[in-house]
Amino acid sequence: MWLGTANADALRLRGDGYVQAPRPVGLLVLQGEDNARPWVSAEGLAWLGSGQPTTLGEGGPTGTTGTASGDVLTLVVRLRDPSGHGEVRVGRFLETAGAIRPLHLDGATGLARSPWGTSVEAFGGIPVVARFGERAYDWAAGGRLGQTIAERATVGFAYVQRRDFGRISDEEVGADFAAIPLPWLDLAARASNDVVSHGLTDALASVAMRSRDLRLEGFVTRRSPSHLLPATSLFSVLGDVPATRYGGTLRWHAAPRLDLLGTGAAQTQDDRLGADVTLRATLKTDEDGDGSLGLELRRVGVPGASWSGIRGIGTVPLKRGLLRASTEIEIAAPDEPANRGSVWPWALVAVTWRVTPAWDMAVATEAGATSTTKSEVNALMRASYAWGR
Amino acid sequence: MKSWLRHLALLVLPLLLAACAGILGLRPKAGPALFEHRPHVLNGINCLECHSGIMSAGQGGELHLPTDATCRKCHSKPHDERSCTGCHGTPHERESAQLASTHLRFEHRKHMGPTNGQCIRCHVRIGDTNPATLLAPMAACFGCHHHDDQWAMRTCDGCHVDLPAERVKPETHVVHEGDFVREHGVRAASARDLCATCHSDRFCSGCHGVTTPGLPARLAFDDPRLSGLHRAGFKSRHALESRDQPGLCVTCHSEASCQECHTREHVGSKLLGSGATSGPHPKGWIGGGRGGGGHGTAARLDPMSCAGCHGGAGEQLCVGCHKVGGPGGNPHGAGFASHKDKRRDVPCRQCHALNP
Repeated sequence: MWLGTANADALRLRGDGYVQAPRPVGLLVLQGEDNARPWVSAEGLAWLGSGQPTTLGEGGPTGTTGTASGDVLTLVVRLRDPSGHGEVRVGRFLETAGAIRPLHLDGATGLARSPWGTSVEAFGGIPVVARFGERAYDWAAGGRLGQTIAERATVGFAYVQRRDFGRISDEEVGADFAAIPLPWLDLAARASNDVVSHGLTDALASVAMRSRDLRLEGFVTRRSPSHLLPATSLFSVLGDVPATRYGGTLRWHAAPRLDLLGTGAAQTQDDRLGADVTLRATLKTDEDGDGSLGLELRRVGVPGASWSGIRGIGTVPLKRGLLRASTEIEIAAPDEPANRGSVWPWALVAVTWRVTPAWDMAVATEAGATSTTKSEVNALMRASYAWGR
Repeated sequence: MKSWLRHLALLVLPLLLAACAGILGLRPKAGPALFEHRPHVLNGINCLECHSGIMSAGQGGELHLPTDATCRKCHSKPHDERSCTGCHGTPHERESAQLASTHLRFEHRKHMGPTNGQCIRCHVRIGDTNPATLLAPMAACFGCHHHDDQWAMRTCDGCHVDLPAERVKPETHVVHEGDFVREHGVRAASARDLCATCHSDRFCSGCHGVTTPGLPARLAFDDPRLSGLHRAGFKSRHALESRDQPGLCVTCHSEASCQECHTREHVGSKLLGSGATSGPHPKGWIGGGRGGGGHGTAARLDPMSCAGCHGGAGEQLCVGCHKVGGPGGNPHGAGFASHKDKRRDVPCRQCHALNP
């Protein structure tokens, strides 16, 4: 277990450098936050990168292939009434208002709360464009009205309108609900409705019951892909064919060091039926959980998208709190290879070293065969420094 | 033979179970173990005999944990000459106490009077055989302190000095168990500001932001215990996973993100209907009959996949056939309704402007 230094530092700064070879990626991430006074705080994360973007993930340093790039993920100042009656955020931030999908905005948002549980939130701004791209006449605005009932339930209603080149690309209303009527029972639901093309966009409901060692959750999700696309897309007019998924998750703390998790779901979309199952076991190899072994089995049986997979993980503390080795192995096999390879193996071995309380480093080697390459081997390195430690 | 096998099984099975008992943590192994509070409590030993000075302890400072000398006041003939704390009590217990001391605004001395010095009224797990933690649960605080207003106003800093640094997971609300990656969206919908008491803005933006430096699973490549949608060989699986749950990708990604990546990686570049094995579409993808050879049905089920490559200027490929009066026919499926002006608004006007 990596323990953070026990403090309430007013200022936290951290830098991370990532390097990858032979598909070269260099990435420098700087992040920090300042909580100097109870009424104002600020945080930011900016990065510079170069190289093959996809090797660090879809959201990696995209832009033009093989050239330097950079961006700002977050740069926000938060003004807060210390008694909690309200707060304002200004800058680049992520807005998540109830049932509305998260929006990454350059703008402002304000939240007011009353002691009797009512909250009002309003936001407005320009949707973030990656790599400081050219902005069309686009903006987004909306808000949420929420009410807490007897400290046990919350209900909220939200609205958002987003424009692209001045045209409405999304207009949604949403409702959310959450309650803990009994100490062992959690209820939550949210649904959003497309105002432009009339129809349910996205809805989720979850009921969870738990005891000390068991937790059972039942869930339903319903998504309509055409309503999730912007209303300016030609592909948003193809009709309403929602996918509905019914499922359950069971988590069992089977032994002091053994946790079992199983999820099963059935899905319907039009006349297409499918199902998926995930089973996961995690075994701690010591009392504190510094070391662990995990095994995950997965089977997805949806027409045209069926596959099976097995994934194993292991972490071994070589020197407690200072040196750790870890590995992750996955083998996935599609039912219909379609010339993408019948098996996709992937493995990674990593070592993490906390050099000093301020410095930590990690090196890894990964190898695999993907759906587009016969084999791929990469070396990864990360060095992180936290100021003030 | 069968009888012989049965006897062997009867012998091996208990041995396996005994071996597993240690692995699973059912039987404590040698080395540091949780301190044996329970027998001390059952023997009527007052907490203050070991934790002397705790009655007057203020904010932070000394932890008032017993030393070897404290133990030897009673255990005058210890079974071993090594330090007692080397085996009795784990480093984890001491670290938890240190973290709580630093991260909570709490003074033991102010609680001695109201609790009549009964430590167990707050440290309720002391009597358990194998407690996960000895710290007082938040529910114990709420037994006396009513924080309804603070809860409503999200002002946790009356007690919690710095929740993000405290790195604790709630036990009683927004429980982070089960498949929390899938669940968090529905649970956070009603409690964005509650989540923000622990999680910074960049924590959420790290996944949902448009300008992430890299996928969190990728940046934390050395910690496979983190769960997430994009772990391990996701690059190979992503096409299947997107089709498995239509619309899920669009909840975070724009359709342009598919196109950007596929263009860079030169994926799906072969022409439609060419029969090319590396192309994304099967033979006969576009043809006559209901569904236009399959592409129409596929597009209704998962329009995001189509938009991923054919969005933007690529839409003209569809318009060529499906414009009003075109050979492709009416593309609107069942359930389609819109209040847009079909001659003026985008995208309707692409097909309807000339021939309404």
